[in-house]
Amino acid sequence: MNRLVGKSITPESLAELAHYCKGDFSGYDKSTDEVSIELDDTNLPYLWSVEGIARLLRGVLRIQKGIPKIKIINGNYEVRVDKTAVGVRPYIAAFVAKGRKIDDTLLKQLVQLQEKFCDGYGRKRQKASIGLYSYKRIKFPVHYKAVEPSSASFVPLGMQKKLSLAQILEEHPKGREYKWILDGLKKYPLLVDDKGDVLSFPPIINSDFIGKLETGDSDIFFEITGTDEQAIMLATNIFAYALSERGFELFSVKISYPERNVSSPSPATKKIRISRKDVEGLLGLKLKEPEIRELAERAGFGFNNYTITIPPYREDIMHPFDVIEDIAIIYGFGNILPQELESYTIGQKLPIVDFIDRIRELAIGIGYQEVMSPILSNKNTLYTKMNSPDTGTVEIENPMSELFSAIRSWLSPILLEMLSKNKHVDFPQKVFEQGLVTVRSGNKISDYEKMALMSSHSTADYTESKQAVELLMRQLGIKYSITEKEHKSFIKGRSASLIVAGREVGIFGEINPAVLSNWGIEMPVSAVEINISDLYETDEKAGKRQKM
Amino acid sequence: MAEDLDKVISSLHPLERKILPLVDKNSNVSRIVKDSGLSETEVNRAVQWLRSKRLVDVNESFKEVVELDSNGQRYLKELMPERRFYECLKATGKAKLSEIKKSARLSDDEFNICIGILKRLNAVEVKKDREITIALTEHWKKLEHAGFESESFLKKEFPVDVSQLSIPEKNSLGGLKSRKNIVKVSLLKDTAVSITALGRDILRRGIKTDIVDRLTPEILKSGAWKGRDFRRYDLLAPVPRITGGRKQHYRRFLENVREKFISLGFTEMTGPIVETEFWNMDALYMPQFHSARDIHDAYYVKEPKYSDSLPSEFVMKVKYAHELGISGSTGWRYDFDVKRTHRHVLRSQDTSISPRTLSLPSLNIPGKYFQMVRCFRYDVIDSTHLADFNQIGGFVVEEGINLRHLIGLLKMFAREFADTDKIKVVPAYFPFTEPSAALYAKHPEMGWIELGGSGIFRPEMTNPLGVKVPVIAWGIGVERVAMFKLGLKDIRQLFSHDLEFLRTIKVV
Repeated sequence: MNRLVGKSITPESLAELAHYCKGDFSGYDKSTDEVSIELDDTNLPYLWSVEGIARLLRGVLRIQKGIPKIKIINGNYEVRVDKTAVGVRPYIAAFVAKGRKIDDTLLKQLVQLQEKFCDGYGRKRQKASIGLYSYKRIKFPVHYKAVEPSSASFVPLGMQKKLSLAQILEEHPKGREYKWILDGLKKYPLLVDDKGDVLSFPPIINSDFIGKLETGDSDIFFEITGTDEQAIMLATNIFAYALSERGFELFSVKISYPERNVSSPSPATKKIRISRKDVEGLLGLKLKEPEIRELAERAGFGFNNYTITIPPYREDIMHPFDVIEDIAIIYGFGNILPQELESYTIGQKLPIVDFIDRIRELAIGIGYQEVMSPILSNKNTLYTKMNSPDTGTVEIENPMSELFSAIRSWLSPILLEMLSKNKHVDFPQKVFEQGLVTVRSGNKISDYEKMALMSSHSTADYTESKQAVELLMRQLGIKYSITEKEHKSFIKGRSASLIVAGREVGIFGEINPAVLSNWGIEMPVSAVEINISDLYETDEKAGKRQKM
Repeated sequence: MAEDLDKVISSLHPLERKILPLVDKNSNVSRIVKDSGLSETEVNRAVQWLRSKRLVDVNESFKEVVELDSNGQRYLKELMPERRFYECLKATGKAKLSEIKKSARLSDDEFNICIGILKRLNAVEVKKDREITIALTEHWKKLEHAGFESESFLKKEFPVDVSQLSIPEKNSLGGLKSRKNIVKVSLLKDTAVSITALGRDILRRGIKTDIVDRLTPEILKSGAWKGRDFRRYDLLAPVPRITGGRKQHYRRFLENVREKFISLGFTEMTGPIVETEFWNMDALYMPQFHSARDIHDAYYVKEPKYSDSLPSEFVMKVKYAHELGISGSTGWRYDFDVKRTHRHVLRSQDTSISPRTLSLPSLNIPGKYFQMVRCFRYDVIDSTHLADFNQIGGFVVEEGINLRHLIGLLKMFAREFADTDKIKVVPAYFPFTEPSAALYAKHPEMGWIELGGSGIFRPEMTNPLGVKVPVIAWGIGVERVAMFKLGLKDIRQLFSHDLEFLRTIKVV
């Protein structure tokens, strides 16, 4: 790192400098002299390498300005793309890098950049996958084609015997991991040299001969295939810059498609215009042109009268603001003076919150302990254990665990589940929960604020639940009536509906012993469950009528 | 000294007052029960209280006692079987066995035992002729004179202390024990109670019995308390614990956060738990293909998979922004999948509410908005991760605001939520803001913590929603502050189902 930056950097100062990469310094290993940085921005793959980070820090530390130069020698190499490959995995780019012995550290860092890029930006190798090869074993031109899965075979990396492409997908660990990318294809991509020796079976695995880059090698053949030409050109540029900065000489490769030729790498730059007004508007900084130029150049851009040149290893600049952010980063967020907001605004809660808080206060006043549970639950808890039919549930297609595979549609099961875990705690146990539930009715999904109260002790009964309901209605000033209600979770003849303005807004009574036994509860439980959203709506309407 | 005595005297419970005078050097509980007319429980309680006041000494011991069992009590009334056998035989001198058994009303068991006893005493002899007969021997007079040992034992006053028995008595006890349900032997706790010197002093000083114990409505009505002393209570005696209703600890913390935002002029917003990819990500200018979507790994809804209620006007504008760019942007340059944007997911980030709010005709400019809502992430649940967690965020929309205001806002948050002016604002990455910043605050006790993230919404995000002025977006993570304030080590305790924990965690 120090060599690449051109200045000595201590691990301590790197902790601060890491922020310039939108990253967090996460550790330094003294024994190997390695630092770890966690990066936030997934759009800047060039920073996934020491070379990239060093390039950025050279700008931060005023060692370098503008876009660094890169020299590419016209090479006499060719990759011939067969039309069979175009229908399968259409794009390829490549170059040759010569002249530096590869040691352990460099090999490790190259592989790290390769894997990070293919996994993240390359969408787990689907969009782009990279191969690095021992140059001296290749007879050019290289041929890129697609073949029948059983018609070609070679010794894949890490194995001793020859396998056909079809066998590799079944038997090689990488084959099994990535074979989904080739699902449905009749022919598979293959790279061979002019002697017919296999380089690799992209995007699955390299050969164990040409495709095995080893320490001590000094010449590399780089290749990337994929489905997105822009992404593979970007990766080629990132690797070309990294290897060039490592002291390799770069040679271009001619890619001959059936209908066109491309020289690779082609580190073309794009341009975007920014304005002083935008800089000032976005950052609140009054900067003069030379200052803006200086900051832009240290950020690694070219600057010419507010026309910005974007380096070829970046594809993240979509809007002038992307450049202006980088200008602000180089300026230093810490150097920007904060300014207080001056506008006067009046704060407001959600209208229902006050109503909810009044009800919670009443429940607490009559001795109930408030509980707050996860919203995710499961159908076994919500219905099976309650002896209740499914009343409309949103289920998760990809649950992490069956325990959290559905959104709760009512709260009573959640509180019974809780009581079942507290059988040895002092009685009486009086608990309540107020919170959101989600109910599905056909294609309609609705959230409701609900509240459930539960009282468990040796003499808990219907009377207690009715007392609670009547207290709440009385103290909220809501007119109500009560009718008999049959519900499988409750004892028949001991449960009732709470009716407000002709609408059922709640249910209460004694929990059925069959349900209690499902939960292993050996103490009577009386319960109340009220739909607060519905209650609020009717209460609001009543309130409005009164005002009129 | 006298004062101390009076204090003790006035703290005596009526039961204590009743039994203390009955205690002498070697009383025991059963005697006090008899003498006082109180129940054994009452006496035991009073003795314990007197002991804790050091007015009596208590010495507990165990003794073996004999009591009459069911048959024993019956024999006491009906006479022992051997007596009945003997009397019947004495009347005739000689008889058939079966006749004796019948006239003495003996069961098989009793009959066999009787023959055994009488034979052992050599008082009878059994002869086998055509029928088995039994006759008294010449020793019968001795028996007539001495009587049966068992009979005399039964006449003792029960319960009988085994240790007080003579050796012959112990032998006859042995015989009775081997017979069915005549006696039972058990261990009895004997509590010896003796008065202490202090107890005697107290008695000598006199313990008034005219003292008000419990204050009752009757006493108040009659005025009977006037001029009388109240019994002093033992103020340090343990009392049964009560539990009451209270707010859940984390919810209480969140309520305070909400109040804070209201007082800072923010208006609360919300949105549905089940979101569409549109509001959850697309409307935030997060491209459908991008790996940034991995950070927000979401839970997908099984049914219905797609929403039928997205505002098509906004969908088209967002699609355009993604595909071709808007307001000077190149866009993401890919084919925006309109079907996918309707896909139902569980809200994975609270920021999903911001585009909803920004698209409302009722949006106030200038305006400050916040939301605190439950979000869901595809995470393995452990001591630091929940599948289901609260997020707090919002935005400020106003003509002319910029990065300096953003830093000013973060500074205010640090002051309000981490109680500090020491902050570090550093570059960060969020797909929907440019520039983006992370806030670190030096909490007076916790040290440096990452408190929040912020940025200025990209024009590609706000313009399709019809907003042309800058919008500062922010989110703050108060979970760590909450855990610190509540003294929690495990994040799952925020949603604890442990009732004892909920009842006892300190209120903050």
